[in-house]
Amino acid sequence: MIASLSRRQAIAGGLFVAPCLAMIAVFFFVPLAMTLWMSLHDWPLFGPRSFSGLANYVQLLQDASFWDSLWFTTRYTLLVTPALFIAAFILALVVQQPGRLSGLFRTAYFLPVVIGMSAASLLWVWLYNDQVGIFSAILMQLHLIDEPVQWFDSANSALLSIVAMVTWKMTGFTMVLLLVGMQAIPEDLYEAARIDGANRWHQLRYITLPLMRQTFALALTVSVIGSYLAFDQFYIMTHGGPQNSTIPVVFWIYRAAFTYSRVGYASAMSVVLLLILIVMSFVQLYLLRSDD
Amino acid sequence: MNFSGRATLQLGASLLMLASAWAQADDNVTFWVRMQDSAVAQPLVKAWNGSHKEQISLTVIPNDDFITKFGTAAASGNVPDILAVDLIYVPQLAKAGQLTDITDKAKALPFANTLSKAHMRLANANGRQYALPFSAEGSVLLYNKGLYKKAGLDPNNPPKDWATIEANAKKITALGGGVKGFYFSGACGGCQIFTFAPYIWASGGDILSADGKTATLDKPQVKDALEFYHRMWSSGQISAGSKTDNGQNFINTFLTGKVGMVGTGAFAIGLLKREHPEIDFGITPFPGEKGGTGSFAGGDSIAIPKGSKHADVAYQFMTWCLSDAVQTEYFAKNGSIPVRSDLGPAYYKDDPRLKIAFDAFSAGQAPYSDKFPQLINDNNGPWATLVQDAVYGGDVNAAVKKAQTRFNEILSSK
Repeated sequence: MIASLSRRQAIAGGLFVAPCLAMIAVFFFVPLAMTLWMSLHDWPLFGPRSFSGLANYVQLLQDASFWDSLWFTTRYTLLVTPALFIAAFILALVVQQPGRLSGLFRTAYFLPVVIGMSAASLLWVWLYNDQVGIFSAILMQLHLIDEPVQWFDSANSALLSIVAMVTWKMTGFTMVLLLVGMQAIPEDLYEAARIDGANRWHQLRYITLPLMRQTFALALTVSVIGSYLAFDQFYIMTHGGPQNSTIPVVFWIYRAAFTYSRVGYASAMSVVLLLILIVMSFVQLYLLRSDD
Repeated sequence: MNFSGRATLQLGASLLMLASAWAQADDNVTFWVRMQDSAVAQPLVKAWNGSHKEQISLTVIPNDDFITKFGTAAASGNVPDILAVDLIYVPQLAKAGQLTDITDKAKALPFANTLSKAHMRLANANGRQYALPFSAEGSVLLYNKGLYKKAGLDPNNPPKDWATIEANAKKITALGGGVKGFYFSGACGGCQIFTFAPYIWASGGDILSADGKTATLDKPQVKDALEFYHRMWSSGQISAGSKTDNGQNFINTFLTGKVGMVGTGAFAIGLLKREHPEIDFGITPFPGEKGGTGSFAGGDSIAIPKGSKHADVAYQFMTWCLSDAVQTEYFAKNGSIPVRSDLGPAYYKDDPRLKIAFDAFSAGQAPYSDKFPQLINDNNGPWATLVQDAVYGGDVNAAVKKAQTRFNEILSSK
């Protein structure tokens, strides 16, 4: 009876999971397998394709442009991740306090997240615009500058301008992740600490931060993956300029596929990027693993 | 009838409607155009559908996504029946075997010898014809007559060489108050081929050999044209935003009334007359260094993708678009250059500026290369980088050498 029940439960469980598995198969494993297959071919956007073995991967190893774009993406990630974390952590500390307005502020800080990245990028293109943009106008009104700032004029200012936009856009998301982690810490611990004489800094340092390690690991992994997959903001805001100085790796993959018509080569780059992200995610999760 | 009976009936009816809509959609002839052509394509398709049994479904695709979308459609074997595509992509699509050969039918057209030469040349591969002209656009130099007058220049005597452009730009910039003599979108490869290459052509140079297989950027006319632009940039005749403009402000800066001269397309004539009547403007062909004229002859070609399920109707539609009535009513009268040279007067009879644009287009050229997207249109490609390095960087020789090498690498690739 027990065996039969568990079999029935297993079937029911399997049926419940099946739609999800089907979705993952169709939208993840099949495309992944196709990408792997395409990466082993000379596969133009138009016209006949031919098997080329590992030729795309061999060429990729010698392609300085790909590694340059990977390094640029790493620099972008190293800038945007701390910016997001610091801003999100401060905001999470602010809005976790119970209060009449905390719900309003949580919503306000989260609002930019619901805007699509492309729409947000376009919005900021106009905010940064030298003719009609508000940033230059404010600085000129304050007499801090005489002429409009060309925000995308140099490699560094273009990169920092995008980092500022992404920080505005994504801080709310990281804030929510951190807030969930903060609220999962039992209030008893803070109460005991206060009885023992711990001030706010001590509570943050010895309770909040250590107990949020797993939350940090999750937020960090999500942020790093998101940064390595950045595309829209660069495509829309700088188009990779000035002088090709802001081309992240996904932008390079896009160019290989749709400008250079080399879909097989672009697939090989995607596979290599996937492997790099898997390794990086494992390293992050390992380093921030719980002591338990 | 109980609830479940009614629900079943409703469901059945819905499925039937869905199936019928599906079947109807399958019967329709599908036509893809890029956003740039939507204003002309929409009334055109409406007129066709109103007078023909075979119905056409129009899909408008953002300019930048057009080739991406067609590429994925071709890979999945789900192509549209008719395709209107930027003429510069036709050599690539023809070479890759994506378009139907229409040579015999095209030759039999009664107006075949009046069709845009640039379109016909780019649609011809190894003596076979793969597309016909659909829409036309010619590039010209636009100048603000009001600023010319204020700067003490003759507004009816536009520049006919580079030295005059530079001298006029300096006088206009000297007006102050944020006014600049000249403007161009410096981070946009497509804009440069449209408005910068004509200076080279007008001076007798070119960027590619006649067969499109070798770069000719090391010819003196290319270097001279880059130095001409660099002089205007470094002496402050061009606003700082030019360096990072990827085409978004291609015409916008001129619309502020604070720019003396800008290279643009014939479309700007209608736009200015319609939306900025306060700007008094003139147009002129791009001059060469010491005279001569040049223009980019652009626009879209119309073709039948391989795999089209309605090739016959598609061809009927293509030739209908080229008929006297359609070219006159839907193109010329709407401010779009007709693609037939014999129908020019219907376009320009009311405004001499349109005649200048029409002549510029008729005499214009477009480079033939199946690598055009990589070489020219890519804002990170060697053509856009050449202008960036030379004009803003200033080391013209090094920029030319780098671009010449990169051009030939791409041209010799598979």
